Amino acid sequence: MGGLRKRDWWMAFLFVLPVVVILLAISIFPMVYSFYLSLCRWDIGMGGQRTFIGAGNYLRLFSDARFFNSLKNTGRVLLFGVGTQFALGLSLALLLNRSFRGRSLVVTLFLLPMMISPVVVGCIWKIIYHYQYGPLNYLLNLLGIRSVNWLGSGSISPYSIVLADIWEWTPFMVITLLAGLQAIPDDLYEAARVDGANRWQIFSGVVFPLLRPVVIIAILIRVMDAFKIFDLVVLLTMGGPGQASESVAFYNYLTGFKYFSMGYASAMSYVQLAVIVAIANVFLRSFKGRAVV
Amino acid sequence: MRKFLLFLFAFVLLASVAYASPVKLVVVGDAGHNLKPFEWYAKDLKEKFDVELEVIGVPFGELYEKEKVELIAGTGAFDIMIVFPKFLAEFAANGWLYPLDEFVAKLDPKLDDVTPGYRDFYCKYGGKLYALPYDGDVLSLYYRKDLLENEEERKAFKEKYGYDLKVPETWDEYLDVAEFFTRKAGEKLAGEVLQRDFYGTAYYGQKDQIFAWWGNIFASLGGVYFDEETMEPAINSEAGVKALEIMKEIHKYCPPDVLAYGYEELKDVFLNGDCFMVIQWPCVGKKGADPAQSKIVGKIGVSHVPGVKKDGEIYYRAMMPCGRVLAIAAQSKDPWKAYQVIHYLSVVTSLDDVSTPETGLDPYRYSHFAHPEAYEMFANVEDAKIYLAGVQKNMEKGYPEMVLPGTVEYEETLGVALTKALAGELDPKSALDEAAQAWRDILERFGKEQQKALYQELVKGWKAVGLW
Repeated sequence: MGGLRKRDWWMAFLFVLPVVVILLAISIFPMVYSFYLSLCRWDIGMGGQRTFIGAGNYLRLFSDARFFNSLKNTGRVLLFGVGTQFALGLSLALLLNRSFRGRSLVVTLFLLPMMISPVVVGCIWKIIYHYQYGPLNYLLNLLGIRSVNWLGSGSISPYSIVLADIWEWTPFMVITLLAGLQAIPDDLYEAARVDGANRWQIFSGVVFPLLRPVVIIAILIRVMDAFKIFDLVVLLTMGGPGQASESVAFYNYLTGFKYFSMGYASAMSYVQLAVIVAIANVFLRSFKGRAVV
Repeated sequence: MRKFLLFLFAFVLLASVAYASPVKLVVVGDAGHNLKPFEWYAKDLKEKFDVELEVIGVPFGELYEKEKVELIAGTGAFDIMIVFPKFLAEFAANGWLYPLDEFVAKLDPKLDDVTPGYRDFYCKYGGKLYALPYDGDVLSLYYRKDLLENEEERKAFKEKYGYDLKVPETWDEYLDVAEFFTRKAGEKLAGEVLQRDFYGTAYYGQKDQIFAWWGNIFASLGGVYFDEETMEPAINSEAGVKALEIMKEIHKYCPPDVLAYGYEELKDVFLNGDCFMVIQWPCVGKKGADPAQSKIVGKIGVSHVPGVKKDGEIYYRAMMPCGRVLAIAAQSKDPWKAYQVIHYLSVVTSLDDVSTPETGLDPYRYSHFAHPEAYEMFANVEDAKIYLAGVQKNMEKGYPEMVLPGTVEYEETLGVALTKALAGELDPKSALDEAAQAWRDILERFGKEQQKALYQELVKGWKAVGLW
C-alpha cells in the first residue's frame, strides 16, 4: 500500500468498496447478528421481545437431551454413511479404473443416484421401505427373512436414513476417487511392477499414498454435507418415530421455524459450526502433514 | 405538443388496461385435495368478483412455518390463507389477520348455520371474527361392517370373549375386537385365506397429530389440558397415564410400522382392506365409498369413538384435531375481494365441496347434514344418512383442540413423549412427566399469565356451548 499514491489508493478503495459492502451485507452482518441472537432469548411467537441472556442458550443446549440425540444420529450418518460410501466408492473406483467395453456407460449409470433430485430419492426410498408393500421387504421375504420395520422402529429408522444416503452419495466418492486414480501416471505402476511389487504392494505403496489428498478432500466434502443432512430425514421419517431419527439440522429447523425460538436456534447453529470446523481442521491438518504429490 | 398527446394517450391506455385487469389474489394452503375448490371455481370467481387466483400448496406439516415466516416478515405474500384453527389465535393476536366483522353485514357468512365448535373456537379470537369455516374435522370410528356381520366370525368371537361381536363402544371392547381381528397371512378371515397380515386397528403415529388418538381416550377418562387455576399441565394425570397404557395395548394390534403413519398411511391401510377398524377424520368415510380410492366400497360402518362406561352409560369424547378455516392476511391487497372469495367457498359451494370424495373437506354446517342426497358417492341415500349420523354423533361430543399460541409446540412435544412410551423407550408415567415438563417450559416462554387468561377464556367458551 505504501507504494500507492493517495489518488491511486482512493481509486483502489472505490473499486473494492462494492465487494466489501456486499460481503458485509450478505455474509458478515448475518454472521455477527446471528451470533448476537444466540446470546438472546427471542421467541417470535408472541410479541417477539428480545432479551439478552448471555450464554443461556448455550447452557440450555448442553442439557437438551433431544439435541444430543440429534447429534448422535448425525454422527451415525458420518460414521456409517460416509465410511461405507468411502469403502464402496474406493472399491468401485478401482474396478472402474481399467479399460473394458462399455466402461463409459457403466460410469454414467453409477452416477445416476447422485443426479436424481434429493426429493425424488426420498420418495423412492419411502416406497422401497414400505413395510407391507415395499420391494425391499418382499425380497427379504423371498430369502426367508422376516420383514423389517424400516421406518416405524426407533432403533432402525436412523439406519434406514443412512442406507438411503449411502445409495445416493456413493457415486460421488466413485467419481472423485476415479478421477484421482486416473491422474496417477502409468509409469509408476510399471516401475513398481518392474521392481517386483505385487497388487497389494502397488496399492498400498504407490496408489493409496498418491490418492490420499483426493481421499481427504472427498471425505471432507461428504462429511460437511452429511453433517447437514435434512432432506432424507424430512422425506423418510420426519425425524420419527418421535424424535428417534432427528438430525441436528432437522432439529435446528424445528427449533427455528416450527417453534420459532430464534435465539436458541442460532446457538444451535453456532455449536454445529464449531463442530464442523473442528472436524474440517482435523482433515486439513492430515492433508497438510501427509500430502505426497 | 404532438409528442405530449401521444405520451398521454399511451399513459391513459396503460392505466385503463391496468385498472381493468382482475385483482390477483394469492392463496396458500396445504397442498393436495383440499386446495381443489380454489382451482374448480377459479373461472367463476374471476367472472363474479374480477379476481385471479394464484394457488400455492405447501406440505401439510409445513403450513404453519410457511405462513408464519411470511407474516412475521410482513412480505404481504399471501392474501387468502387456509389456516388450521390452532394457529389462528397466534396469528390473530399478533395482528397478522384481517378482522372480518366489517364485511359480515355486507355479505352474510351464515354463521348460524355453522355448528358451534367450528363457529366459535375455530373462527374467532378475542370476540372478533377472523376466518370463515372451510373444513369441519372430528374423529370418528370406521369399521368393516361386512366382517362384523359375518356369521363365522361372530361365532368365533362369542366363543372367545363370551359376548356378541358388535361395534366397540368402550375401550375394553375396542381392545377385544382389535385383538380378535389381528391375523397373520395364511390364517383365515371370514372364510378366506389371508394373503397378507391383517390388523385389528391402526392409528396416526407421527408426532404432529398422535396426541389426538391418545386424546380420544384421555378425554373419555375425564382428562383436561391444564389445571385452570394453576396452569399446571394435566396431561400426566391419572387419566393421561391410563390413556397411554390403553394405547400401548392397542399398539399390539396395529401394523408394526404404525409409528410412521400419517394421514395417508392410515387411510390406505384401511381402504386397502388390511385393517378392521380405524379412528379417522370424516373424509375417510367419503373416500371409502369411492371405488377409485377404496377396495372396501359398501363395507364400511361408522360410529362414535369408544369411551368408558359410567353409571350404565357410555361416556365418549371425539377429538376435533386439525379443521381448516379461511382467513385473510392483514396485508392483503384487497381484503374485500378476498372476503368475497372465502365467502363463496364457505357458503355458496361448501355443500358441493364437503360432499365429494375429491376433497378431504368435511361437513361443518347444519345444512351439510340436512342434505344426504348430495353425497352421491354412497350407494344410496340411506348409506349417506348413516355416514352423516356417525359424524354428527361424534361432533356432538367433540373434544376441542387447544388453540392457544404455541399449540403446535405443545402438541408436538406431547407427540414425542407418547411415541417414546409406545416404542417402549419410557414407561407411560415417565413419558408424560417429560411432556408435562416440556409444557411448563413452553408456558414460561409464551408467558404463563397470558396463556392462563387465554386458556380460561377458551374453557369458558367450550363450557358455554357444551363441549367441556
